[in-house]
Amino acid sequence: MRESRFWALSMLAAVVMLVVLTAHMAVMHLSPLVGVSLETTRSFAAVLDRARSGVQTWGYYLLLAAALYHGLYGLRGVILELPVGRAGARAVTVILALVGLIAFGYGAYVVAETARLAASGI
Amino acid sequence: MEARRETVTFRVFRYIPGDGEKGFRSYTLEVPEGTTVLEALHIIKEQHDPTLAWRSSCRMGVCGSCGMLINGEPRLACQTQVLHLGSKVVELRPMANYPVTRDLVPDLSSLFSKHAAISPHILRPDQREVDSPTGEFIQSPAELESYLQFSYCIKCGLCLAACPTVATDPDFLGPQALAQAYRYSADTRDGGLDSRRGVLDRFHGVFQCHMAGACSAACPKGVDPAFAIQLLKREVVLRGLGKRRRRLARVSPLPSEHVPSEKIPAAPPRTA
Amino acid sequence: MRPEVGARAGGRLGPKGWVYAGKYSFERYLYTLHRVTGVGLVLYLLLHIYETGLRLRGEVPWEGLMRLFTAPVFKVGEFLVFAGFAFHALNGIRLLLTEFGFFLGRPSQPIYPYSTSVRRHRPLSYVLMFAAAVFIVLGGFGIFS
Repeated sequence: MRESRFWALSMLAAVVMLVVLTAHMAVMHLSPLVGVSLETTRSFAAVLDRARSGVQTWGYYLLLAAALYHGLYGLRGVILELPVGRAGARAVTVILALVGLIAFGYGAYVVAETARLAASGI
Repeated sequence: MEARRETVTFRVFRYIPGDGEKGFRSYTLEVPEGTTVLEALHIIKEQHDPTLAWRSSCRMGVCGSCGMLINGEPRLACQTQVLHLGSKVVELRPMANYPVTRDLVPDLSSLFSKHAAISPHILRPDQREVDSPTGEFIQSPAELESYLQFSYCIKCGLCLAACPTVATDPDFLGPQALAQAYRYSADTRDGGLDSRRGVLDRFHGVFQCHMAGACSAACPKGVDPAFAIQLLKREVVLRGLGKRRRRLARVSPLPSEHVPSEKIPAAPPRTA
Repeated sequence: MRPEVGARAGGRLGPKGWVYAGKYSFERYLYTLHRVTGVGLVLYLLLHIYETGLRLRGEVPWEGLMRLFTAPVFKVGEFLVFAGFAFHALNGIRLLLTEFGFFLGRPSQPIYPYSTSVRRHRPLSYVLMFAAAVFIVLGGFGIFS
């Protein structure tokens, strides 16, 4: 595929993250500013409580995909700008794609399981 | 009034292949205000060390031969006044990111081969019109302005010495070639972006520019390569998505029925 | 006169060229920091996905893990991640805009002293970096409170 498409996709992922990752970071790190302690935000009950929302679950699938793609595409760029050679470049691309797929698979499984756990707890 | 004179030490990088010599030599001279680094190099060569080598020609910022690192900054030696540097020690190195041929002489082959790779000339489907024109291409002043700035490149190569991507990636086209790719692709007479895509739209092409802006800061002619590259990215992405069609400049036919006045003598026969 | 020994020859700068920028402009250093924070964040992301998965082992191990993360060393780490994110996101907004040709002005005749696209979008760089500093301070309050 042409580099422009990979790159444009990475930029699109960046735009997606500006919304979903900012929301995630605000909830997870800035909650004390609105009077909710980090301990409360991150308690098991609160995690399950949030996982009951479908919007949040789909938001996490989206965040997972966007962050992994944008991050690993960027990392590939950094590594391939080093003199790794043609074969090295191909190997790096394949390895990072595999890392991305595995991490997405596992992360999506965790999100889905959490949502299932939360739903069964109602 | 006497011109201001100051004593300045020049730490000059010396490298003579095969000789084993590699390092800095210092030369101290008294320079009057207005002396350029290039003139100082001439004084060193004439009065201190005839073995010193550098490349220069026009001594007026047009030929682009005398690019070097002056106190760590990529600059043209002929356009840098010694006393304006405000430093008692002036360090001169060959431009970074190029192999060194000798002393301050870089090997610019990579710059020229990358420039050639982007087909730096007008490409049209009706190439015959370029080779044997039947008229003039119509281009408005606004269309001219859209690329004119980028056409002032003198191929000095300073932008590649400044570019952080070129620092590690020998295959990256670099600011000079990419800016020229935009200069031609944005020219309404040119319809060649699609044929340049092969070199631009790949890993070492236009997308390895990360807008560090060092090339534009280094450019001695105000070409602003970083600007051209960002505009090129947009073009390449939009064209890749099939979102942009180009209208090529039309050819204005020469007036065929025009008969010149008899008072005007006929032009002499063509010699070339 | 003998030359000094051990001086670096010319040639490619190597990864040092990513970091050492000499006398270049503000944006050249934003590039370096963007690269450093980007690599840091993606490595953290992989750890974070693994760590989040531990919640599937149940409430007790999860609460234990969260208690562990209240230790000062993890707090500092969390702050670094937040600061890296705030910088990368806000500088990323600048890159998103400029890499598509916005905020760079229009091509014009180069008349000395030259105005470059880098200079023309510098107010945007300053505003975004100020915003990043504000977010980082807020993050500090949130994380260390």
